[in-house]
Amino acid sequence: MTAPTVRRAGPPATEPRQSWWSRHQRSLAPYVFISPFYLLYVLFLLVPILVGVYLSCTEWAGLGTPRWVGLRNYRDLLTDNSFWTSVGNTAFYVAFTLAVVVPAALFIAQALNSRGLRGRDVFRLAYFMPVVISPIVITLVFGLFFDNEFGLINGTLQALFGFGGIDWLGDPAWARITVVILVLWRWTGYLTIFFLAGLQNVPRELHEAAAIDGAGPIRRFFDVTLPSLRPVTAFVAVTVLVSTAQIFDEPFLLTQGGPGESTLSVAMFIYRAGFQRQQLGYAAAAGVLLFLVVFALGYLTNRITGVGRESR
Amino acid sequence: MPEPTPNRRALLRGLTGLGLAALAGPALAACGRADATPVTSGRVDLRLWTHDPGYIATFETAVTDDTLVGDSAYRFGLNVTSAAPPDIVTRMITQAVADGNTPDLAGVVIDQFPRVMGSGIAEHLFTDLTETVAPFDGELLKLAPYSVAGKPYGLDSDNSISVLYYREDLFAEHRVPESVATWEELAEHGERLARDHDISLGMVATGDNGSVVNGFLQLLLQRGGAAFDATGELALESDEALEVLEFMAAGVRSGYLIALPDPYGSACAAALKSGRLAATVMPNWYNAYGLQANVPEQAGRWRMRTLPRFAGGGHLASTMGGTGFTVLKDKANSQAALELLTRVYLTREGQLLRYHSGGFLPTLSGLYQDPELLAVEDAYLGGQRVFDVYAPAAADLPTFYQAPGMQILTDVLGGPVLDALKGRTSPDAALEAGVRAYRQQVKR
Repeated sequence: MTAPTVRRAGPPATEPRQSWWSRHQRSLAPYVFISPFYLLYVLFLLVPILVGVYLSCTEWAGLGTPRWVGLRNYRDLLTDNSFWTSVGNTAFYVAFTLAVVVPAALFIAQALNSRGLRGRDVFRLAYFMPVVISPIVITLVFGLFFDNEFGLINGTLQALFGFGGIDWLGDPAWARITVVILVLWRWTGYLTIFFLAGLQNVPRELHEAAAIDGAGPIRRFFDVTLPSLRPVTAFVAVTVLVSTAQIFDEPFLLTQGGPGESTLSVAMFIYRAGFQRQQLGYAAAAGVLLFLVVFALGYLTNRITGVGRESR
Repeated sequence: MPEPTPNRRALLRGLTGLGLAALAGPALAACGRADATPVTSGRVDLRLWTHDPGYIATFETAVTDDTLVGDSAYRFGLNVTSAAPPDIVTRMITQAVADGNTPDLAGVVIDQFPRVMGSGIAEHLFTDLTETVAPFDGELLKLAPYSVAGKPYGLDSDNSISVLYYREDLFAEHRVPESVATWEELAEHGERLARDHDISLGMVATGDNGSVVNGFLQLLLQRGGAAFDATGELALESDEALEVLEFMAAGVRSGYLIALPDPYGSACAAALKSGRLAATVMPNWYNAYGLQANVPEQAGRWRMRTLPRFAGGGHLASTMGGTGFTVLKDKANSQAALELLTRVYLTREGQLLRYHSGGFLPTLSGLYQDPELLAVEDAYLGGQRVFDVYAPAAADLPTFYQAPGMQILTDVLGGPVLDALKGRTSPDAALEAGVRAYRQQVKR
């Protein structure tokens, strides 16, 4: 039997030098895994935004070198009557959508959610149909419906009430109303789907408890349904606000911003400056302003309504 | 001391830098130019961009027509892209910026051409056609709308001569002479027909600004006025402009002119079908795209004639619309594209081919006396010899000038003109408002 040999501790051996990656691997690995998102985010969102901001300070027709003009485009925008017309029109569309379309969607959802309703799926289909119909078809049909001379609406008004000379698409005030009627028709059904989903999650016991306490249908709607739908309503309000502030399809297809500029939206103003007049710097400046306003309004609404936060 | 690890902020900075670097590559590459060694003979596939199937048919027929291209050093082929008129210009510019695949031949609709008139875009993109058209001095019509600083960059496909289409049967029934000499005289008959039979003898567009302004400019050009003069200066502050707008507003008021959103849509079709619209001023292409498309059952009832003159003077004809074909410059196929365009657009055979394949009126004035064209009869118009009308009209066609601010003018003039037509403002106030807004916006 041999005695165990004891190894004497000598001077510490030099450890092999680790590579930079080996030393930081653990801390960097998560970032590497999520890097595809950030790379795409930078490439397709951040860079275009920064380029847009840069362009907004230049004069550029699309070819050649953009000429730096500082804040001149912004200054011109503030004195451009067309721009302010488009801002006013867009504000009208946003106000109408929030004040009429969202409540209409809620009430339709409430009706569709009621007990004993027959043909529920048919109604759902009917309300959702406008979202999936081609905008071109909608434009043609609405153009014919609202024509001053040969339109179905004026014809019906004439037959029923003896008047029907409303110039729906040719009169500035009526043209704005026609656009929001199209918005109402097109988007109410879509928003109804969100409210319907929210209504189906409202606990039935709450309604039963309120009914036992003597609350009628209207009281139950305001005291039970509405508070329960607060997260959904807030989400709908924010998304509607942001999307309507960028409204383009409806006025572009129905009136092309006319008559004159009476239905011109800010998004159309930007399109017109960029792609009809080749004023890309000016269009970019309007785009930056629209972005800032929409961002601020969206953020404000978000804060007020508490979208994304847990309900207490 | 531990070596600091990169924090989140630093990493994001790094990624941003990577993104910018990734973008910088293509951006720098775009600064270079593609290989532009000219193809001088043999097989060449030209990239053709256009919005109109009629032009596709024309060029596809042309490249297989030995009488047109048989003696060429090239064997032409076509690679066709069809797109909406605004998209053709937009994509052409973006492709040029990216040094991408621009077309060799592009059809630019007349109202899109002002987009390339400013900031040297036309000069950078298109071949200067001055030498190409030089041999046709005085004979080639409608170069002005596609010219910048006196240099032509496009050849129009169609003379777009405005004529008066009218229902022969309704004119006879209601005793409206077909040979009425002046607009004022026709307006008197129109007022009577509107009052007694709810029939109009013309239309004004009340829809988008483009339709509203085009309708006004069509009559203004005939009257001898213009939107812009040859130097690109605004020319709307004129007696002719006021007279024409007053005439149109009075026509709408009396019912002689019917207000419709546009001359092509469903409302116009309803007006035509019901017989409420018995006459209208529109260019030659309206025969196919307006009348035959909307009221094929009225074949044989329609006729056309030259426009009545304004009592105050002006031209016998007017013009509206058109598409100018341009050749992209400094490309390998530029020479071949120019040769094909020349053969199809500047030869008798090419112009006849264009008329027969798409109904496009010749742009060479001499062809309006060509026996083959003079013999053409239009079945829809009751077998009428249409060049008996087009020939005198082509001989007295006003010149239409454009300027970079044409789109702005259309945008700002549409509303006031419409207000005047609807009686919401006076014609002189409308013109003043339009001119003021134009000056304010174009100053920028």
